[in-house]
Amino acid sequence: MNNNHVYDMLVVGGGPGGYTAALYAARAGLDTIVLEKLSAGGQMALTEQIDNYPGFEDGIDGFSLAEKMQKQAERFGARSEYVEVLRMDLTAVPKLVETSEGIFLGKTVVLATGANPRKLGVARESELVGRGVAYCAACDGMFYKGKTVVVVGGGNSAAADALLLSRVAKKVILVHRRDTLRATKIYHEPLTQAENVEFRWNSVVSALLSGDRLTGVRLRDTVTGEESVVDCDGVFVSVGRQPATALAVGQLELDGGGYIVAGETTETSIPGVYAVGDVRTKPLRQVVTAVADGAVAVHMAEKYIAENR
Amino acid sequence: MAAMNMNQEQFKQLIREEKPVLVDFWAPWCSYCRRIGPAYEKIGEEYADSLAVGKINIDEEPRLARAEGIEDIPTLVLYRNGKAVDSIIAPGSKAEIDRFIQEALAK
Repeated sequence: MNNNHVYDMLVVGGGPGGYTAALYAARAGLDTIVLEKLSAGGQMALTEQIDNYPGFEDGIDGFSLAEKMQKQAERFGARSEYVEVLRMDLTAVPKLVETSEGIFLGKTVVLATGANPRKLGVARESELVGRGVAYCAACDGMFYKGKTVVVVGGGNSAAADALLLSRVAKKVILVHRRDTLRATKIYHEPLTQAENVEFRWNSVVSALLSGDRLTGVRLRDTVTGEESVVDCDGVFVSVGRQPATALAVGQLELDGGGYIVAGETTETSIPGVYAVGDVRTKPLRQVVTAVADGAVAVHMAEKYIAENR
Repeated sequence: MAAMNMNQEQFKQLIREEKPVLVDFWAPWCSYCRRIGPAYEKIGEEYADSLAVGKINIDEEPRLARAEGIEDIPTLVLYRNGKAVDSIIAPGSKAEIDRFIQEALAK
Protein backbone atom coordinates (compact mmCIF):
# COMPACT_ATOMS: atom_id res chain seq x y z
CA MET A 1 0.00 0.00 0.00
CA ASN A 2 2.96 2.32 -0.58
CA ASN A 3 1.42 4.70 -3.06
CA ASN A 4 0.72 8.38 -2.89
CA HIS A 5 -3.01 8.10 -2.55
CA VAL A 6 -4.29 10.62 -0.02
CA TYR A 7 -7.53 9.66 1.70
CA ASP A 8 -9.87 12.31 3.01
CA MET A 9 -10.06 10.38 6.25
CA LEU A 10 -8.02 7.65 7.91
CA VAL A 11 -9.92 5.98 10.72
CA VAL A 12 -7.63 4.15 13.14
CA GLY A 13 -9.63 1.44 14.90
CA GLY A 14 -12.73 -0.42 13.80
CA GLY A 15 -14.93 -0.29 16.88
CA PRO A 16 -18.34 1.40 17.02
CA GLY A 17 -16.82 4.91 17.06
CA GLY A 18 -14.54 4.18 14.13
CA TYR A 19 -17.15 2.56 11.91
CA THR A 20 -19.70 5.28 12.65
CA ALA A 21 -17.13 7.87 11.58
CA ALA A 22 -16.57 5.78 8.44
CA LEU A 23 -20.32 5.59 7.79
CA TYR A 24 -20.85 9.33 8.15
CA ALA A 25 -17.71 10.12 6.16
CA ALA A 26 -18.59 7.79 3.31
CA ARG A 27 -22.12 9.20 3.18
CA ALA A 28 -20.63 12.70 3.06
CA GLY A 29 -18.62 11.65 0.02
CA LEU A 30 -15.28 11.49 1.82
CA ASP A 31 -12.75 8.93 0.64
CA THR A 32 -12.39 6.88 3.82
CA ILE A 33 -10.50 3.85 5.04
CA VAL A 34 -10.67 2.06 8.38
CA LEU A 35 -7.40 0.59 9.66
CA GLU A 36 -8.21 -2.25 12.04
CA LYS A 37 -5.77 -4.73 13.53
CA LEU A 38 -8.09 -7.71 13.84
CA SER A 39 -11.81 -7.35 13.14
CA ALA A 40 -14.61 -4.89 13.59
CA GLY A 41 -15.99 -4.12 17.01
CA GLY A 42 -13.14 -3.51 19.43
CA GLN A 43 -14.12 -4.29 23.01
CA MET A 44 -17.76 -4.47 21.95
CA ALA A 45 -17.02 -7.55 19.84
CA LEU A 46 -16.28 -9.49 23.01
CA THR A 47 -19.52 -8.51 24.69
CA GLU A 48 -21.93 -11.39 24.77
CA GLN A 49 -25.08 -9.35 24.92
CA ILE A 50 -25.65 -5.63 24.49
CA ASP A 51 -28.96 -4.51 25.93
CA ASN A 52 -28.45 -0.77 26.12
CA TYR A 53 -27.93 0.09 22.47
CA PRO A 54 -31.26 1.45 21.26
CA GLY A 55 -33.06 -0.27 18.41
CA PHE A 56 -32.38 -3.87 19.44
CA GLU A 57 -35.24 -4.63 21.80
CA ASP A 58 -34.06 -8.20 22.46
CA GLY A 59 -30.41 -7.19 22.75
CA ILE A 60 -27.69 -8.13 20.29
CA ASP A 61 -24.26 -9.71 20.67
CA GLY A 62 -21.38 -7.29 20.20
CA PHE A 63 -19.71 -9.16 17.37
CA SER A 64 -22.86 -9.15 15.24
CA LEU A 65 -23.48 -5.47 15.95
CA ALA A 66 -19.90 -4.73 14.88
CA GLU A 67 -20.33 -6.66 11.64
CA LYS A 68 -23.49 -4.71 10.92
CA MET A 69 -21.72 -1.40 11.52
CA GLN A 70 -18.88 -2.42 9.24
CA LYS A 71 -21.20 -3.58 6.45
CA GLN A 72 -23.26 -0.42 6.77
CA ALA A 73 -20.19 1.81 6.38
CA GLU A 74 -18.92 -0.32 3.48
CA ARG A 75 -22.28 -0.11 1.74
CA PHE A 76 -21.55 3.60 1.23
CA GLY A 77 -18.02 3.04 0.02
CA ALA A 78 -15.84 3.05 3.15
CA ARG A 79 -12.98 0.54 2.96
CA SER A 80 -11.35 -1.61 5.64
CA GLU A 81 -7.81 -2.94 5.94
CA TYR A 82 -6.59 -5.42 8.57
CA VAL A 83 -3.34 -3.76 9.51
CA GLU A 84 -1.43 -2.95 12.66
CA VAL A 85 -0.51 0.70 13.07
CA LEU A 86 3.18 1.09 13.92
CA ARG A 87 3.75 4.85 13.83
CA MET A 88 1.83 8.04 13.14
CA ASP A 89 2.92 11.50 12.07
CA LEU A 90 -0.16 13.57 12.80
CA THR A 91 1.29 17.01 12.06
CA ALA A 92 2.64 16.04 8.62
CA VAL A 93 0.81 17.23 5.51
CA PRO A 94 -0.84 14.97 4.55
CA LYS A 95 -1.02 13.10 7.83
CA LEU A 96 0.86 9.80 7.81
CA VAL A 97 0.04 6.44 9.36
CA GLU A 98 2.63 3.70 8.97
CA THR A 99 1.29 0.16 9.29
CA SER A 100 2.32 -3.48 8.99
CA GLU A 101 1.15 -3.28 5.36
CA GLY A 102 2.67 0.03 4.39
CA ILE A 103 1.99 3.74 4.66
CA PHE A 104 -1.42 5.40 4.51
CA LEU A 105 -1.87 9.12 3.95
CA GLY A 106 -4.88 11.19 4.94
CA LYS A 107 -6.10 14.78 5.12
CA THR A 108 -7.71 13.95 8.46
CA VAL A 109 -7.26 11.21 11.04
CA VAL A 110 -9.91 9.85 13.38
CA LEU A 111 -8.40 8.01 16.33
CA ALA A 112 -10.81 5.33 17.50
CA THR A 113 -8.28 3.05 19.12
CA GLY A 114 -10.37 2.36 22.21
CA ALA A 115 -9.10 0.78 25.37
CA ASN A 116 -7.83 -2.60 26.56
CA PRO A 117 -8.27 -4.47 29.83
CA ARG A 118 -6.03 -3.18 32.58
CA LYS A 119 -3.71 -5.78 34.09
CA LEU A 120 -3.35 -6.64 37.76
CA GLY A 121 0.31 -5.77 37.64
CA VAL A 122 1.56 -8.76 39.65
CA ALA A 123 4.41 -11.12 38.86
CA ARG A 124 3.91 -13.92 36.29
CA GLU A 125 0.62 -12.41 35.13
CA SER A 126 1.52 -12.36 31.44
CA GLU A 127 2.98 -15.85 31.31
CA LEU A 128 -0.14 -17.29 32.99
CA VAL A 129 -2.53 -15.81 30.44
CA GLY A 130 -4.34 -18.78 28.95
CA ARG A 131 -3.17 -20.93 31.87
CA GLY A 132 -5.53 -19.65 34.50
CA VAL A 133 -5.36 -15.89 34.02
CA ALA A 134 -8.11 -14.43 31.83
CA TYR A 135 -9.58 -11.03 31.02
CA CYS A 136 -12.83 -12.03 29.35
CA ALA A 137 -15.37 -14.23 31.12
CA ALA A 138 -17.56 -14.42 28.03
CA CYS A 139 -14.58 -15.80 26.09
CA ASP A 140 -12.91 -18.14 28.53
CA GLY A 141 -15.61 -18.87 31.11
CA MET A 142 -16.60 -22.20 29.58
CA PHE A 143 -13.17 -23.63 30.37
CA TYR A 144 -13.98 -23.30 34.05
CA LYS A 145 -17.10 -25.41 34.10
CA GLY A 146 -17.43 -26.97 37.55
CA LYS A 147 -14.25 -25.24 38.78
CA THR A 148 -13.43 -22.49 41.27
CA VAL A 149 -12.65 -19.03 39.93
CA VAL A 150 -11.71 -15.67 41.37
CA VAL A 151 -13.04 -12.48 39.80
CA VAL A 152 -11.08 -9.32 40.60
CA GLY A 153 -12.86 -5.97 40.45
CA GLY A 154 -16.00 -4.22 41.60
CA GLY A 155 -17.38 -2.37 38.59
CA ASN A 156 -20.06 -3.34 36.09
CA SER A 157 -17.89 -5.63 34.03
CA ALA A 158 -16.57 -7.43 37.11
CA ALA A 159 -20.14 -7.91 38.36
CA ALA A 160 -21.31 -9.12 34.95
CA ASP A 161 -18.34 -11.50 34.73
CA ALA A 162 -19.04 -12.87 38.22
CA LEU A 163 -22.69 -13.44 37.35
CA LEU A 164 -21.86 -15.17 34.08
CA LEU A 165 -19.26 -17.35 35.78
CA SER A 166 -21.65 -18.22 38.62
CA ARG A 167 -23.75 -20.03 36.03
CA VAL A 168 -20.77 -22.07 34.81
CA ALA A 169 -18.28 -22.50 37.63
CA LYS A 170 -18.71 -24.42 40.87
CA LYS A 171 -17.70 -21.41 42.95
CA VAL A 172 -16.98 -17.76 42.25
CA ILE A 173 -15.00 -15.59 44.66
CA LEU A 174 -15.32 -11.88 43.96
CA VAL A 175 -12.31 -9.94 45.20
CA HIS A 176 -12.70 -6.18 45.49
CA ARG A 177 -10.44 -3.58 47.06
CA ARG A 178 -13.35 -1.64 48.58
CA ASP A 179 -16.12 -2.80 50.94
CA THR A 180 -18.94 -2.43 48.43
CA LEU A 181 -19.47 -2.89 44.69
CA ARG A 182 -19.17 0.09 42.37
CA ALA A 183 -21.37 -1.77 39.87
CA THR A 184 -24.90 -0.45 39.22
CA LYS A 185 -27.66 -1.73 41.49
CA ILE A 186 -29.15 -4.19 39.00
CA TYR A 187 -26.18 -6.51 39.61
CA HIS A 188 -26.26 -6.47 43.40
CA GLU A 189 -29.28 -8.65 44.06
CA PRO A 190 -28.57 -11.50 41.62
CA LEU A 191 -24.99 -11.61 42.86
CA THR A 192 -25.79 -11.68 46.56
CA GLN A 193 -28.50 -14.25 45.95
CA ALA A 194 -26.32 -16.58 43.91
CA GLU A 195 -25.45 -19.43 46.25
CA ASN A 196 -22.03 -20.05 44.79
CA VAL A 197 -20.75 -16.45 44.88
CA GLU A 198 -18.57 -15.42 47.79
CA PHE A 199 -17.25 -11.90 48.43
CA ARG A 200 -13.81 -10.92 49.69
CA TRP A 201 -14.05 -7.21 50.47
CA ASN A 202 -11.13 -4.83 51.10
CA SER A 203 -8.82 -7.25 49.35
CA VAL A 204 -6.30 -7.11 46.56
CA VAL A 205 -4.41 -9.87 44.76
CA SER A 206 -0.80 -9.66 45.91
CA ALA A 207 0.50 -12.75 44.10
CA LEU A 208 -0.48 -15.44 41.63
CA LEU A 209 0.34 -18.95 42.80
CA SER A 210 1.22 -21.44 40.12
CA GLY A 211 3.01 -24.50 38.94
CA ASP A 212 2.53 -25.08 35.23
CA ARG A 213 -0.70 -23.21 35.57
CA LEU A 214 -2.51 -21.10 38.11
CA THR A 215 -3.32 -22.88 41.37
CA GLY A 216 -4.46 -19.97 43.51
CA VAL A 217 -4.04 -16.35 44.49
CA ARG A 218 -2.64 -14.65 47.53
CA LEU A 219 -4.84 -11.86 48.85
CA ARG A 220 -3.87 -8.92 51.00
CA ASP A 221 -6.45 -7.30 53.25
CA THR A 222 -6.21 -3.55 52.55
CA VAL A 223 -7.34 -2.69 56.11
CA THR A 224 -5.38 -5.12 58.28
CA GLY A 225 -2.58 -5.97 55.85
CA GLU A 226 -3.14 -9.67 56.56
CA GLU A 227 -2.39 -12.09 53.78
CA SER A 228 -4.34 -15.22 52.90
CA VAL A 229 -4.31 -17.85 50.16
CA VAL A 230 -7.32 -18.77 48.04
CA ASP A 231 -7.09 -21.93 45.96
CA CYS A 232 -8.64 -21.52 42.51
CA ASP A 233 -8.40 -22.76 38.94
CA GLY A 234 -8.79 -19.40 37.28
CA VAL A 235 -8.65 -15.69 37.94
CA PHE A 236 -10.67 -13.28 35.82
CA VAL A 237 -9.22 -9.80 35.90
CA SER A 238 -11.79 -7.05 35.51
CA VAL A 239 -10.14 -3.99 36.99
CA GLY A 240 -10.91 -1.42 34.36
CA ARG A 241 -9.54 -0.31 31.05
CA GLN A 242 -6.46 1.34 29.69
CA PRO A 243 -6.67 3.59 26.63
CA ALA A 244 -4.71 2.46 23.58
CA THR A 245 -2.79 5.69 23.12
CA ALA A 246 0.86 4.58 23.12
CA LEU A 247 1.29 5.79 19.53
CA ALA A 248 -0.09 9.24 20.35
CA VAL A 249 2.34 9.92 23.20
CA GLY A 250 4.43 13.00 22.45
CA GLN A 251 2.09 14.17 19.69
CA LEU A 252 -1.32 14.69 21.28
CA GLU A 253 -2.33 16.10 24.62
CA LEU A 254 -3.25 13.21 26.94
CA ASP A 255 -4.75 13.33 30.41
CA GLY A 256 -3.32 11.65 33.51
CA GLY A 257 -5.02 8.36 32.67
CA GLY A 258 -3.57 8.36 29.16
CA TYR A 259 -6.83 9.35 27.44
CA ILE A 260 -6.68 11.77 24.50
CA VAL A 261 -7.90 15.19 25.63
CA ALA A 262 -10.88 16.11 23.42
CA GLY A 263 -14.27 17.61 24.16
CA GLU A 264 -17.68 17.04 22.59
CA THR A 265 -16.34 18.24 19.22
CA THR A 266 -13.81 15.36 19.36
CA GLU A 267 -11.12 17.84 18.25
CA THR A 268 -7.68 17.05 19.68
CA SER A 269 -4.68 19.30 20.21
CA ILE A 270 -3.74 18.81 16.54
CA PRO A 271 -6.05 20.30 13.86
CA GLY A 272 -7.58 17.64 11.61
CA VAL A 273 -7.10 14.90 14.20
CA TYR A 274 -10.16 13.69 16.10
CA ALA A 275 -10.54 11.28 19.02
CA VAL A 276 -13.74 9.24 19.24
CA GLY A 277 -15.09 6.63 21.61
CA ASP A 278 -13.41 5.22 24.70
CA VAL A 279 -10.03 6.73 23.86
CA ARG A 280 -11.31 10.29 24.44
CA THR A 281 -11.71 12.08 27.76
CA LYS A 282 -15.42 11.77 28.52
CA PRO A 283 -17.77 11.03 31.40
CA LEU A 284 -19.46 7.91 30.00
CA ARG A 285 -17.84 5.21 27.86
CA GLN A 286 -20.57 3.28 26.10
CA VAL A 287 -21.31 2.09 22.55
CA VAL A 288 -23.95 4.76 22.23
CA THR A 289 -21.56 7.59 23.17
CA ALA A 290 -18.84 6.20 20.90
CA VAL A 291 -21.10 6.23 17.85
CA ALA A 292 -22.18 9.79 18.62
CA ASP A 293 -18.51 10.81 18.67
CA GLY A 294 -18.00 9.21 15.26
CA ALA A 295 -20.72 11.34 13.72
CA VAL A 296 -19.46 14.55 15.34
CA ALA A 297 -15.87 13.89 14.21
CA VAL A 298 -16.96 13.72 10.58
CA HIS A 299 -18.91 16.97 10.93
CA MET A 300 -15.76 18.68 12.22
CA ALA A 301 -13.53 16.99 9.63
CA GLU A 302 -15.70 18.18 6.74
CA LYS A 303 -15.27 21.73 7.99
CA TYR A 304 -11.53 21.25 8.37
CA ILE A 305 -11.15 19.81 4.86
CA ALA A 306 -13.17 22.67 3.36
CA GLU A 307 -11.02 25.27 5.14
CA ASN A 308 -7.72 23.61 4.23
CA ARG A 309 -8.13 23.04 0.52
CA MET B 1 -9.90 -19.99 -0.28
CA ALA B 2 -11.97 -19.96 2.87
CA ALA B 3 -10.56 -21.90 5.81
CA MET B 4 -12.00 -25.41 5.74
CA ASN B 5 -13.70 -26.86 8.79
CA MET B 6 -12.05 -30.24 9.35
CA ASN B 7 -12.83 -33.43 11.20
CA GLN B 8 -10.22 -35.76 12.66
CA GLU B 9 -9.73 -37.83 9.49
CA GLN B 10 -9.38 -34.81 7.24
CA PHE B 11 -6.92 -33.30 9.70
CA LYS B 12 -4.79 -36.45 9.92
CA GLN B 13 -4.66 -36.73 6.15
CA LEU B 14 -3.96 -33.05 5.51
CA ILE B 15 -1.02 -32.72 7.92
CA ARG B 16 0.73 -35.64 6.20
CA GLU B 17 0.79 -33.82 2.90
CA GLU B 18 3.72 -31.76 1.70
CA LYS B 19 2.22 -28.33 2.23
CA PRO B 20 2.43 -26.97 5.79
CA VAL B 21 -0.96 -26.66 7.49
CA LEU B 22 -2.26 -23.89 9.70
CA VAL B 23 -5.09 -24.95 12.00
CA ASP B 24 -7.35 -22.73 14.10
CA PHE B 25 -8.80 -24.60 17.08
CA TRP B 26 -12.02 -22.79 17.94
CA ALA B 27 -15.56 -23.17 19.26
CA PRO B 28 -18.80 -21.41 18.38
CA TRP B 29 -19.26 -20.02 21.93
CA CYS B 30 -15.82 -18.40 22.01
CA SER B 31 -16.24 -14.74 21.20
CA TYR B 32 -12.54 -14.08 20.70
CA CYS B 33 -12.52 -16.92 18.14
CA ARG B 34 -15.13 -15.01 16.18
CA ARG B 35 -13.01 -11.88 16.43
CA ILE B 36 -10.03 -13.46 14.71
CA GLY B 37 -12.32 -15.02 12.07
CA PRO B 38 -12.20 -12.27 9.41
CA ALA B 39 -8.41 -11.91 9.68
CA TYR B 40 -8.03 -15.69 9.56
CA GLU B 41 -10.05 -15.91 6.35
CA LYS B 42 -7.81 -13.22 4.85
CA ILE B 43 -4.74 -15.22 5.92
CA GLY B 44 -6.22 -18.24 4.13
CA GLU B 45 -6.42 -16.23 0.91
CA GLU B 46 -3.03 -14.55 1.22
CA TYR B 47 -1.09 -17.74 2.03
CA ALA B 48 -3.02 -19.99 -0.38
CA ASP B 49 0.19 -20.86 -2.26
CA SER B 50 2.31 -21.80 0.72
CA LEU B 51 -0.13 -23.06 3.36
CA ALA B 52 -3.25 -25.16 3.74
CA VAL B 53 -5.51 -23.33 6.18
CA GLY B 54 -8.14 -25.14 8.22
CA LYS B 55 -10.27 -24.93 11.33
CA ILE B 56 -11.24 -27.45 13.96
CA ASN B 57 -14.29 -26.98 16.13
CA ILE B 58 -13.20 -28.39 19.50
CA ASP B 59 -16.81 -29.09 20.49
CA GLU B 60 -17.13 -31.43 17.51
CA GLU B 61 -13.64 -32.89 17.89
CA PRO B 62 -12.95 -32.90 21.65
CA ARG B 63 -10.66 -35.96 21.53
CA LEU B 64 -8.56 -34.47 18.75
CA ALA B 65 -8.27 -31.17 20.63
CA ARG B 66 -7.12 -33.03 23.76
CA ALA B 67 -4.68 -35.14 21.77
CA GLU B 68 -3.19 -31.97 20.29
CA GLY B 69 -2.86 -30.45 23.77
CA ILE B 70 -5.29 -27.61 23.18
CA GLU B 71 -6.15 -25.99 26.53
CA ASP B 72 -7.24 -22.57 25.34
CA ILE B 73 -8.93 -21.22 22.30
CA PRO B 74 -8.40 -19.75 19.88
CA THR B 75 -5.10 -21.57 19.41
CA LEU B 76 -3.44 -21.53 16.00
CA VAL B 77 -1.03 -24.39 15.31
CA LEU B 78 1.28 -24.71 12.33
CA TYR B 79 1.99 -28.31 11.26
CA ARG B 80 4.70 -29.51 8.91
CA ASN B 81 5.42 -33.13 7.94
CA GLY B 82 2.73 -34.29 10.34
CA LYS B 83 4.17 -32.51 13.37
CA ALA B 84 3.24 -29.33 15.22
CA VAL B 85 5.99 -26.75 14.61
CA ASP B 86 4.66 -23.92 16.77
CA SER B 87 1.47 -22.47 18.19
CA ILE B 88 0.02 -19.14 19.26
CA ILE B 89 -2.87 -18.46 21.63
CA ALA B 90 -5.35 -15.63 21.01
CA PRO B 91 -3.27 -13.46 18.65
CA GLY B 92 -4.00 -9.75 19.05
CA SER B 93 -3.83 -8.68 15.43
CA LYS B 94 -3.63 -9.99 11.88
CA ALA B 95 -0.04 -8.76 11.82
CA GLU B 96 0.72 -10.98 14.83
CA ILE B 97 -0.64 -14.00 12.93
CA ASP B 98 1.51 -13.01 9.93
CA ARG B 99 4.62 -12.84 12.13
CA PHE B 100 3.78 -16.19 13.75
CA ILE B 101 3.42 -17.89 10.36
CA GLN B 102 6.65 -16.43 9.00
CA GLU B 103 8.63 -17.43 12.09
CA ALA B 104 7.10 -20.92 12.20
CA LEU B 105 7.78 -21.48 8.48
CA ALA B 106 11.40 -20.45 8.98
CA LYS B 107 11.92 -23.03 11.76
